[in-house]
Amino acid sequence: MDVTLLVQYGLAGLVIGVIYCLMAVGITFIYSIMKMINWAMGEFFMIGGYLQYLLITGWLGSSRWYLALPLAAVGAGLLGMLVQRVLLRPMFVGQVERLDEYATIVTISLTVLLRNLAVVVFGPYQFSPADYAPPVMLGPLPLNGSRFAAFVGTIVLLGVFAMVMRWTWFGRALRAAAQNRLGALCAGINLPRLDMLAFGIGVGLAGAAGALLAPVFLVFPQSGALSTVKGFEIIVIGGLGSLPGSIVGGLLLGLVESLGSVFVSPSFRDVYGFGLLLLILVLRPTGLWGERTREA
Amino acid sequence: MKGGTEMGQRLVVTVVGGMLIAALAAGGAVGSAAPAPVTLGVLTPLSPPGDPAAGQLIERGAELGIQYINTVMGGLFGGKGGCALPATQVRLAVEDDSGLPEKAIAGFRRLVSEDHAVAVWGQFHSSAMLAAAPLADQLGVPFISTQASAADITAKHFKAVFRTHPIDPDRAAAWLGWIQAQGWHKVAMLAENTDYGIGLAEATKSLIAAKKMNVTLDAVIFDRTSSDLTPQLLKFKAEKPDVLLNVGVGTPAYLIIKQAHDIGLFPQVPMLGSYDFPVRPEYWKNLGAAGNYLAFISYYHPRMALSPLGKWAAIEYAKRYKDVAIYSNLNSFGDAVILAEAMNQACSSDPTKIIAALERGRFDTWIGSGATFPRGAGVYWHQWSPPMVILQFTQTDETYDQAPILYPTAMKTGTYTGPH
Repeated sequence: MDVTLLVQYGLAGLVIGVIYCLMAVGITFIYSIMKMINWAMGEFFMIGGYLQYLLITGWLGSSRWYLALPLAAVGAGLLGMLVQRVLLRPMFVGQVERLDEYATIVTISLTVLLRNLAVVVFGPYQFSPADYAPPVMLGPLPLNGSRFAAFVGTIVLLGVFAMVMRWTWFGRALRAAAQNRLGALCAGINLPRLDMLAFGIGVGLAGAAGALLAPVFLVFPQSGALSTVKGFEIIVIGGLGSLPGSIVGGLLLGLVESLGSVFVSPSFRDVYGFGLLLLILVLRPTGLWGERTREA
Repeated sequence: MKGGTEMGQRLVVTVVGGMLIAALAAGGAVGSAAPAPVTLGVLTPLSPPGDPAAGQLIERGAELGIQYINTVMGGLFGGKGGCALPATQVRLAVEDDSGLPEKAIAGFRRLVSEDHAVAVWGQFHSSAMLAAAPLADQLGVPFISTQASAADITAKHFKAVFRTHPIDPDRAAAWLGWIQAQGWHKVAMLAENTDYGIGLAEATKSLIAAKKMNVTLDAVIFDRTSSDLTPQLLKFKAEKPDVLLNVGVGTPAYLIIKQAHDIGLFPQVPMLGSYDFPVRPEYWKNLGAAGNYLAFISYYHPRMALSPLGKWAAIEYAKRYKDVAIYSNLNSFGDAVILAEAMNQACSSDPTKIIAALERGRFDTWIGSGATFPRGAGVYWHQWSPPMVILQFTQTDETYDQAPILYPTAMKTGTYTGPH
């Protein structure tokens, strides 16, 4: 095997792995704060893609895609906050029994609704904005400009997110809620409002991923399915609720898929990811960065 | 007084009720003079994960077909070329199969049992068609494959299943003929893991072996839910094939072109698309300059002569949808008219008689006349194939009526053009 080719496969896996990270961080972030899984995450990814396409083709033009990106992410985030306020808040303030089941049913229903709404509003066609940048060389790997922009954009977004979480009061409040909701409440944190913001930020990250990847994977009603499947694989590999785990899980998944599909068979690309997931669960049931918890 | 009022009210109610009943009875008598419309069913992908764009095109063609039968043909039986029965209108019932086998089975059953469809067409995905085909046999309702091409659809010799679309061996013969005419020997194929993709890979391998062609085929099957095919394409790039066959359907077909272009594999290495997706309006919007130089199989080219039926459909389609008719529209339209012709020849809308008429009759189509569905051998059972051509885009934003025909040689209007 040619070394250059091997490096190319590895780099291709790392690039896609970094992009996968962004899909997973939103899911794990919402879980860590609200202790619920948002199964409709992929649909916010899809909405981010459509918003980016509409903003670029209808208003800003393809050269100003970087202005459309935050708008698409904010748009998805605002929609997420509305969804949280209307559909999910009753779960926390209305003494709903079986919270997990309630959240699962609501978010899975939302998945079906949003996906079919996309077919009605935009039609069944695929859309793609123009590439964000000309092709570049990443070492020996020829890389599409949009994919490179998504790669760099993901690193920047994750960096900003980590800084906000670590060094701002808002980030501290979020971390407090993630550690102990009752404790955070006792410290005077407005949890319902924090939940709404956390949900908005989480789905906003998914929207940003959808917007970044719009020219790479195209935009169509089912485009979010990819981010949902990969996102959940990654958070289980990395450990539910762990942000570093999501990043390492994403990179591992990208590498395993890339190398497996070249050296074994591309027919089983998804099997490699699930194989890795099963292996990690056998060796470390809480995931790479997950922690054992006790419930009273 | 009160009792008198009540009595009067009762009288009024009785009189009005009697008049209503009489009117309804009269209406019923008038209604019974006009025969109830015959229902034809379309089962096609209208939502993901199937190819809903294809389903929408097929549905539009079916609507045109119904319009043609009811207006130009004057309905079934009593209209032009009909039999002694009174003219009967047709109505369309549509079911979405999402390209999924289980939904195709449920949709077919609903069309027959709830909508009382006497015949069904519109299938696009081979997996869905193959799943519903045994049910068509069981219910004895004719089922035409409009665009599903897996060999098994006709090779399994279902009594009620017919096809008006090229089959895998036809497609493999077309692209291998073109590849040989180009003098190419090293062929790479990226095929999705569906009945369509795997069937085409097998058919191509079989034909190369049967005809002892000087062609080597490296066929790689990929999971159609994958969004990143870069590693396989990098591998192909290192192997330097003469041509790459793109056997993806819907989104994967676009992703292969886009990602091959990104890594510098296409258009440096020629690529052939396995079906006519590039004629759809979204092709250039999605790919821009990256879509230039693609060669692709098509079943229709605007320079080909259409039958009077086909001309009517093309004109009406342009009027109704403000767009140019393409093969999916025309073939679905053609299937509707073939079924109407079969019912006229059988002088019946009984599904069993329609099947018999389809087997022994000759039918006008959008591309010519004399289509037949004999009980042929092997894959040619109940099979009629429209012509197949290989076209190539040689300029960005080129419309497909400007695209030169590369193959077959008899229809050739240009030669393969690579990037300078």
